[in-house]
Amino acid sequence: MSELLIAELTKIRTLPATWIAFALTVLGNAVLGILAATDLVRVASANGEVAVGQLGALMLAPAYVFIAIAVFAAGTEYRGGQLRISLAAMPDRTRWFGSKLAVSAVVALVAAIPAVLPGLLVQHGAAGDLAFSSTAKDLLALLAGYLLLSLVGFGFAFLARSPVTPLAVLFILPMLASTALGNLLPQFVKLLPHEATLSFLGLSADPATTLSRAAGLLVLIGWALLFVGTAWTLIVRRDS
Amino acid sequence: MIEVAHLTKHYGGRAAVDDISFTVPRGRVTGFLGPNGAGKSTTLRILLGLDRPDAGTALIDGKPYRDLRYPLHTVGALLDGPGSVPERRAVDHLTWIAQSNRIPRRRVHEVLDLVGLGGVAKQQVKKFSLGMGQRLGLAGALLGDPEILVLDEPINGLDPEGIRWVRTFLRGFAARGRTVLLSSHLMTEMADTADEVVVIARGRIAAHGRLDQITAGHPSLEHVFFALTGDQGPEW
Ligand SMILES: Nc1ncnc2c1ncn2[C@@H]1O[C@H](COP(=O)(O)OP(=O)(O)O)[C@@H](O)[C@H]1O
Ligand SMILES: [Mg+2]
Repeated sequence: MSELLIAELTKIRTLPATWIAFALTVLGNAVLGILAATDLVRVASANGEVAVGQLGALMLAPAYVFIAIAVFAAGTEYRGGQLRISLAAMPDRTRWFGSKLAVSAVVALVAAIPAVLPGLLVQHGAAGDLAFSSTAKDLLALLAGYLLLSLVGFGFAFLARSPVTPLAVLFILPMLASTALGNLLPQFVKLLPHEATLSFLGLSADPATTLSRAAGLLVLIGWALLFVGTAWTLIVRRDS
Repeated sequence: MIEVAHLTKHYGGRAAVDDISFTVPRGRVTGFLGPNGAGKSTTLRILLGLDRPDAGTALIDGKPYRDLRYPLHTVGALLDGPGSVPERRAVDHLTWIAQSNRIPRRRVHEVLDLVGLGGVAKQQVKKFSLGMGQRLGLAGALLGDPEILVLDEPINGLDPEGIRWVRTFLRGFAARGRTVLLSSHLMTEMADTADEVVVIARGRIAAHGRLDQITAGHPSLEHVFFALTGDQGPEW
């Protein structure tokens, strides 16, 4: 088993996109953390000027850069014909997919710590709340959010057979939802991955599309299971 | 030894491969020959466990490929290019493949040198020419020092020097008692390379035997190919 894990880790490590996405997330979160903490910049909105820290969707934006790590890990199997080599080298597809999933999840979890921690500390520091328990609680919630969104993207990339489609869809969907669609179908919109993540993190702005934190987490877990499970079933069954 | 028995595969109702059977003996280079669309790649993909047959079996030393634990020590394959993500460096591409089958890292550099890519190991694969890509694919196939090589149109994109190198390499490989199955849509390519040929046309085996026996009594290889497959091809 370990050899499959090592091989999949090498794939992720030797992909430039991994490091670009990681660096951009660290940077994005740090900048947003500083803006939120200092309240230097305010953003115009329908409700007048709003502090950056109040804009949950903006605060979550770096997560969509971050999930590119897992999305590329999965989607690049369909670039240059890599999947054929993977399956020829590791023909037990259940073991292979399981290994790839495990490595991608652990990488997402471990990389998320330095990606979110600086921004989080700046915000907590500015609020004068660096107590271990509250900071740790927020950190764990963010890590869970980043991990679960990454898994949604990972499964989606296998279904789409590309890294591009899942990134585009996951990024555009929240924008659509925040406009016309969101107002028409709030019952539906609040179940989308993005809105569920905002609810879970307590960053949701619009009460009409807000779930309880626990419900948000459950919905997000549901999405991750759905995408990963469908991808796993397809990989085991379909021709390469 | 490779044994293909009554193999059938349909794509959307059409048979790509229709009840074909043949064996590939040890110590020989066997050419798998047929015009484009004859079913060569389909057969090789099934042999490597990548596609599922609708009926029949393809076995490697008596086992389905998917039952091999570390398959690269038994079978090396080149299908349709190196299979590397273009943004990856050549050495990294071979490294993960080696790791997946517990092949020592020094072997990565050995095969890169063997195919003449030692000097460009740290370049991204997207900078490679078609011929360099084929060489990288071959390096990947050789990583596990396998007993069996399965190569789908390996000559494609190679320059004359590369073609000569592949030919010499495969002859030497088979002379050491190992097994080579290589496909081509060009009969002429087989002339100095293959001992045996399996000719496939429209998903069925048209001929199978020693190259010299199959060509006996015909004025040229092209005539044989045409007579067997009804395909003149644009190449001649
Ligand atoms: N994945 C696929 N989906 C649909 N048709 C396919 C697929 N792969 C091959 N075919 C069809 O099967 C036939 C055999 O193709 P192939 O095995 O690639 O031939 P060859 O390698 O000899 O050129 C062709 O008619 C081809 O169009
Ligand atoms: Mg082909």
